[in-house]
Amino acid sequence: MNNKNRFALVSTLALLAALQAHADTSGKALVKGHEYMAVTNTPNNLHLIDLKTESVYKTCEMPDRFGPGTLFISPDKTRAYVLNNNYRDIYGVELDTCKQVFHARLAQKAGEDARSMFSFTVSADGKELYAVANPMQRAIDHYVVGEPRMQVYSTDAGLDAKPLRSFPVPRQSYVMQAADDGSLYLAGPDIYKIDPKTGERTVALASRNWQRPGYSAPDVLYFWPHQQPNRDFTLLYTAARFADEKQDPETAEYLYGYMNINLKTGKTEVRDFAPLTELYFTGLRSPKDPNLMYGVLNRLTKYDIAKQQLIKAQELDHSYYCIAFNHAGDKVYLAGTFNDIGIHDAESLEKIGSIKLPGGDMAVSTTQVFIR
Amino acid sequence: MKHLKPINDKARKLQQASSEDRIEEVLAMTSVAGCTATTDPGWEVDAFGGVTSLCQPMEADLYGCADPCWWPAQVPDLMSTYPDWNKDALSSAESWRNLNAVFPKDK
Repeated sequence: MNNKNRFALVSTLALLAALQAHADTSGKALVKGHEYMAVTNTPNNLHLIDLKTESVYKTCEMPDRFGPGTLFISPDKTRAYVLNNNYRDIYGVELDTCKQVFHARLAQKAGEDARSMFSFTVSADGKELYAVANPMQRAIDHYVVGEPRMQVYSTDAGLDAKPLRSFPVPRQSYVMQAADDGSLYLAGPDIYKIDPKTGERTVALASRNWQRPGYSAPDVLYFWPHQQPNRDFTLLYTAARFADEKQDPETAEYLYGYMNINLKTGKTEVRDFAPLTELYFTGLRSPKDPNLMYGVLNRLTKYDIAKQQLIKAQELDHSYYCIAFNHAGDKVYLAGTFNDIGIHDAESLEKIGSIKLPGGDMAVSTTQVFIR
Repeated sequence: MKHLKPINDKARKLQQASSEDRIEEVLAMTSVAGCTATTDPGWEVDAFGGVTSLCQPMEADLYGCADPCWWPAQVPDLMSTYPDWNKDALSSAESWRNLNAVFPKDK
């Protein structure tokens, strides 16, 4: 082969290799029995990561704008539902084909703008989707704040989905998850159990209004509705435990705790697990040992819940918001903020790998780990 | 103040409301119209009054905060008013230099 032909061949091969790297994976079907992690990032991607190969298996481009990118996997593991378009819309995408199969704009009438503050979920049977819309009517020279409402959709409603029904919910509602008995648990000032057929609600777990003698009201900031294999719905809180009835913040002990609702049994739990020494944005208990609580923001930490003691802490290259486990519970994945997912050994907490995502920051996205 | 007269409906309504001592219920706006979703600090100092619990580096927290309109005074409102502010800086750690100040448009 002469030089000219050789050059042409090498160029063609290089071009083919480059094309391979940016190949369109949207039609790549997920493999049964494989464990995946779904996550979103800017500009507006939904990635499926194969946790065995620790690489991006496929990427779906999502429509409209990114933000927040909070997602749920449908119970049959065929779809992802994503809150996007600056908190205005919910999109349902078929994971095998990247085809958009559901789209609901939360605003219901002309001149209305409605956002969901991380507040949506899919029912345990996959048939309904729930979202809290915070509506605001734009008048000619002022805004009129409306009453927040839960909008209930059929997941078969397609690309112009309208609610089947809606009912009022408390202000400042945020994350929610659906229980196996058909009820909804919605976190707001307290955590409510709601009948999505009637809108009737009770307090399942008091938060702002908890009755814990000697404790301040808890402080909760939790935007990550992790779908855990054991069906736990977990949030972290911080609270002050006062020295005496004077309730002097100067002499109080500050604590971290978790609130938990099991979506299978309905059992609720509020438990302190550590002194407050640093902030964690998310925390999850080990799938292998419910006495171990892992927390992350600027460090990855592991606590013995019963002893309320730090077992281990791992320094990180940068802050991560969102923690997740694999089903086996031997690996911890750190996501959110930038566009790399840190992989850590659950026992030693040492970093054992990293997955760089195509695209930009994950910011406040939630990762979901599932087995197809 | 007694020398000021309302000259449009809105001003008249304000004057009427204050003279009748009617206090409208002030609602924390959980719908983000322009800004803001919250007013708690977290960029300048952390909950302990120090800086070690702030996100590291600062860019790690940037879109996580700008997206839900957390601190509008510090960054342009990505949620409503400047949704394209970060279009040239999607990976903030690498391209934060492409983020610019914003200015009101001249009418």
